[in-house]
Amino acid sequence: MRLDVSGLRKAYAGFEFGPVDLTVDDEVLAVLGPSGSGKTTLLSLVAGIAVPDAGSVTLGGRELVGRPPEQRRVGLVFQEGALFPHMTARKNVAYAADDDDRVADLAELLELDDALDRRPAALSGGERQRVALARTLAADPDALLLDEPLSSLDAPIRTRLRDDLHDLFASLDVPVVCVTHDRRTATALGARLAVVRDGGVEQVGEPSAVIDRPATEFVARFTGTENLLAGTVTRRDGDGVRVRVADLSLRATASVEPGTAVTVCVHPSRVELDAPDAADPSDAPDAGESNAVVGTVVRWLNEGSEYRVEVELDDGSLGLTAAVRPPTFDRLAVDAGSELRVVIPPESIHLLADDTPASMDPSA
Amino acid sequence: MATRPNAATPSLELDWGSVALALGGVLLLYYLAPVVSLFLAVPPGDVLTRLSDPTVVDAATTSLLSASATTVVSTAFGLPLAYWLARTEGLRARLVLAVVVLPLVLPPTVGGIVLLTVFGPGAPVGAAADAAGVPLTRSFAGVVLAQTFVASPFVVVTAKAAFEGVDRRLEHASRSLGKSRWATARRVTLPLAGPGILAGVTLAFARAMGEFGATMMVAYYPRTMPVQIWVAFQALGLDSAYPVAILLVVVAVGALAVLDVVASNPWGRET
Repeated sequence: MRLDVSGLRKAYAGFEFGPVDLTVDDEVLAVLGPSGSGKTTLLSLVAGIAVPDAGSVTLGGRELVGRPPEQRRVGLVFQEGALFPHMTARKNVAYAADDDDRVADLAELLELDDALDRRPAALSGGERQRVALARTLAADPDALLLDEPLSSLDAPIRTRLRDDLHDLFASLDVPVVCVTHDRRTATALGARLAVVRDGGVEQVGEPSAVIDRPATEFVARFTGTENLLAGTVTRRDGDGVRVRVADLSLRATASVEPGTAVTVCVHPSRVELDAPDAADPSDAPDAGESNAVVGTVVRWLNEGSEYRVEVELDDGSLGLTAAVRPPTFDRLAVDAGSELRVVIPPESIHLLADDTPASMDPSA
Repeated sequence: MATRPNAATPSLELDWGSVALALGGVLLLYYLAPVVSLFLAVPPGDVLTRLSDPTVVDAATTSLLSASATTVVSTAFGLPLAYWLARTEGLRARLVLAVVVLPLVLPPTVGGIVLLTVFGPGAPVGAAADAAGVPLTRSFAGVVLAQTFVASPFVVVTAKAAFEGVDRRLEHASRSLGKSRWATARRVTLPLAGPGILAGVTLAFARAMGEFGATMMVAYYPRTMPVQIWVAFQALGLDSAYPVAILLVVVAVGALAVLDVVASNPWGRET
């Protein structure tokens, strides 16, 4: 079944949603955006809770706009569940189920057996989300929408439920739209990723494509590319180009006309750090074929699963952030002031020509 | 300022808690003493005898029936409006709410007068009803009209608050699960708003039982209990008004009990 959203528009006081076009087949589309970007509005319009000013939503070719929510066969899992507080978890799931067998099956699928006879107030956050999901699936929807399914959960439960959701979604044969403001949730769950901002879609694509080749600065930042450097393409160089950033000349495997002003995007996880004597780092303005330069550590932060290390290049005219896994961090004995070899692999550099429109949203 | 009393440091400063207790205590005494004194004014046996007086029985019957009818009418007409008010924002809703509250702030006798300008024998509607054999003044229908004018806002205002307490997302969830508006109202909205609605219904009933001003103007006959109290007081003095007054106190206490036990007391603590 295909969920097709086209030209969908809704104006609120002080907020303009759309026009938005999205197509979701039997796959998971993760919609990633900051709060207030219109994610929940999108779900409300598809589910029929809000009425669009213009545009169409079709599900399996059936027009949904104009139909009340109960005739859409669109399941919506609300943020924090929106479970009926006066019913036990079992009654919540049974609310839309055809028979008790269905409830039992879903309880088993979502590991709810311990929770079934308690009311929502007595359930943990993770249990609530599972019950809400079971309740929605009990109605056998033709499309499944989830609003921030993991945001209210503590880290260990979030990770577990995320893994479970991943497997569950794979077993469903319906379009799934999952909105979140958390890029890790989005990339973990989504087969495709749509980044939204100010009520419009900035970019849609496979998560790795969106992260590696963001279409706009906003997408780059929101998907974790913190290193955005102003540069100019100076000349072609083999299968790539040379980009001047401050006094450095970096090689990038991209195809941009020489003379173009660009934003150089490098995801922190793509920046490699090594011991200063690991090779012969070039101190020259031309950073060589492999873009290896000497950098000085400004500071570092322990983010748990990785370290974020800020380095200064080119005598401080350029700052760069690298995400380093603990073994590397320990091996290099990173500390403020230490000198390291910084490598920016040419294939990891994404160039955004500065004349790229700020948004791919046709209305912008 | 609310320093704790400290015996070690003698102070002329008044303790806040004691002052509050004293002032509040006086007020409580002022509420309770007259009510208790009413019950002490007449020997219990005497009250029972006088309660079996046909005029008293008639008044009690009229009051109970009319207040019940008023409650049913107020609920039937008031709940949909309360729901609409709870789910609508903006100027329209505020204007409508102001109209609903108007009878609450209007002196009941003035309420009676405005009703007479429409339902009175001289007014077109009243005349037409009279001709059809359903007089709207000096009749049971008149009592219900007067009571509904004064009591129904309690249903609307209290039920509105109860509906507002029901998270809209629960209704949206129900409907996206394939349930119609009616099924959603029946299985989600009404059960959740139930205690609040019951509170409004109880308040309306209590208010209808006690309605005097508007009823006096619109339907002096058949006599309701409050009217009977006034008539007895005027004709025979304070003593003969006691039994019906006692009956009304009992009804009021009963309403309070309902509010506290089954319904959600709108003035009670949030639980």
